[in-house]
Amino acid sequence: MKHSTDLLTKHKSEYFTCIITGVILLALVICSLFIGKYPLTLQGILQDEGMQRNVFWTLRFSRTIMAVWGGLCLGITGFTYQTIFRNPLSSPDIIGVSSGASAGAAAGILFLGSSLAVTLSAFFGAFCAVAVALMLASLDRTGKNSSIVLSGIAVHALAQTVLMSLKLVADPEKELASIEYWMMGGLNNISLYNMKIPAVLCIISMCVLFLLHRQIILLSADSAEAKMLGVDVRKMQLLILLVSTLAVACTISLTGLISFIGLLAPHIARLITKNNQKTTMVLSGLMGAVILSFADILARSVASTELPISIFTSLIGAPFLICLVIKRSHVR
Amino acid sequence: MSFFSVEQITAGYHGKTVINNISFQVESKRIVGILGCNGSGKTTLLKAICNLIPHEGNCYLDNKNLNRLHAKELAQVCSYIPQRSGIDIDISLMDVVCMGFNSRLGLLQQPTKEMRMQALQALEKVGLGEKADENYRNLSEGQKQLCIVARTMVSHSKLLILDEPESALDIHHRHKIMALFRNMVKEENACAIVTLHDPNLALQVCDKLILLKDGSISRMIEPKTDSLKEMESALSALYGTVSLVSCKDQFGKNHLVVLNQVEDHLCNR
Repeated sequence: MKHSTDLLTKHKSEYFTCIITGVILLALVICSLFIGKYPLTLQGILQDEGMQRNVFWTLRFSRTIMAVWGGLCLGITGFTYQTIFRNPLSSPDIIGVSSGASAGAAAGILFLGSSLAVTLSAFFGAFCAVAVALMLASLDRTGKNSSIVLSGIAVHALAQTVLMSLKLVADPEKELASIEYWMMGGLNNISLYNMKIPAVLCIISMCVLFLLHRQIILLSADSAEAKMLGVDVRKMQLLILLVSTLAVACTISLTGLISFIGLLAPHIARLITKNNQKTTMVLSGLMGAVILSFADILARSVASTELPISIFTSLIGAPFLICLVIKRSHVR
Repeated sequence: MSFFSVEQITAGYHGKTVINNISFQVESKRIVGILGCNGSGKTTLLKAICNLIPHEGNCYLDNKNLNRLHAKELAQVCSYIPQRSGIDIDISLMDVVCMGFNSRLGLLQQPTKEMRMQALQALEKVGLGEKADENYRNLSEGQKQLCIVARTMVSHSKLLILDEPESALDIHHRHKIMALFRNMVKEENACAIVTLHDPNLALQVCDKLILLKDGSISRMIEPKTDSLKEMESALSALYGTVSLVSCKDQFGKNHLVVLNQVEDHLCNR
């Protein structure tokens, strides 16, 4: 009886935290819709003033949606990677997603040009990098996590080589600057038109990850233990990594690289809930959305020109990471 | 045919044979202990039985070849308790125990209310009922191992594979955990194979002992029927010269105690 009462109280407080975070996110969404160089008013949008409506729907609405969806995606996939790799410092880059996307985007900027082509090229690069990493890992029949991590490091190095080679041949005035700017991340090129398909794919991927939560937790045991609990470790790892990669690739192919959110959001969620249940997974996503929305608001409001978003995510993330390292060393 | 039989198992790592041509049988409701020095192949043997490493030979449980079972089918009949669980995330004891239901659940299914009640009962049996919602990571090593035992209880397996389950435990918990295994084996009509380092504990709780030396079975002993002399010579062949004596505890119960020559020498000084 005591157990069920405690459990109920605990679950209630977790749901309450999720609701509070949701309310904060909603407030940030409203701020995000109305903060920017061009002043918008609710009255102006509702009264069908051409320019205000245009700015609202083509610029503000799409980037606000992107910030929420991108943050949700990076938070949830960060939770997934950290759990299945049993490594608190894991993020999507551990198997080469980000470096693959960067190389793909650089190739797109150099050889294709249009922003849609760059997005597709970045997506293709991210997916190829993960496919190669998983293929290399499958050569090791022991099924250990370390084989995937090692393959990821190898693919990361390979993608960096490709990226450097592409930078060498890029025009320093235009293309090189575009590549560097893409790698700093930003939500300024987002439009409702180019985010439709990635958004649908990403939402489906996140739902699948949510449904596979129990399998993700089972994979947090070591591979022998997970297998003896009835998990087909290699197949399940592949499935979860492919679904996560699809979600991350859909996001960063549109936004460019956004650092620290995948690392930061799950840690904040776990600090609050002190567990890894589904509510923590949801809270990781909500925290990611809050951080990215806040960083986006700062990126377009602190200076006269728009700043790369990763400056702000790193500004929040780096001190947090230092705190985490200090806390871990104290625990030991 | 026996309830569980191991037939000509040979296994190793990186092309080097660690255990060679091991065969033995186990009846239901029996606990078989495997004794051997470090590096004798105890853990390798257990991993080969569980199909966790490539090996030659077969294992049959109730006429089913374990090598041919998928992960889920294997988990339904066989539970494995490692020396230490690899779980290293913030997770409640209740959720750890509910992992034991995985082999009976579909990919997207969640443990039912009834299963959670069973999990709570298992935790109560091992003395952790009050801690069901606490963080697994905050437990002592002994309590963690008891939680893993509770997870094994809910899986209702017919074969328990236990790799030095008592290695991190104090004397009280050692005997408690072995008593729990004894009860599980009886209640579930199952059998257990356990590797142990302590021959005294092994002689007390196991029905049969397999002595492993350099990857092969050197002797098998049955503490309840074999003579002291036979067992003493078998254990001496494994550990160097040891003495085996029978003594009574304060309640009049008989125990076999292995005295090591080195210990005697130290006592005489």
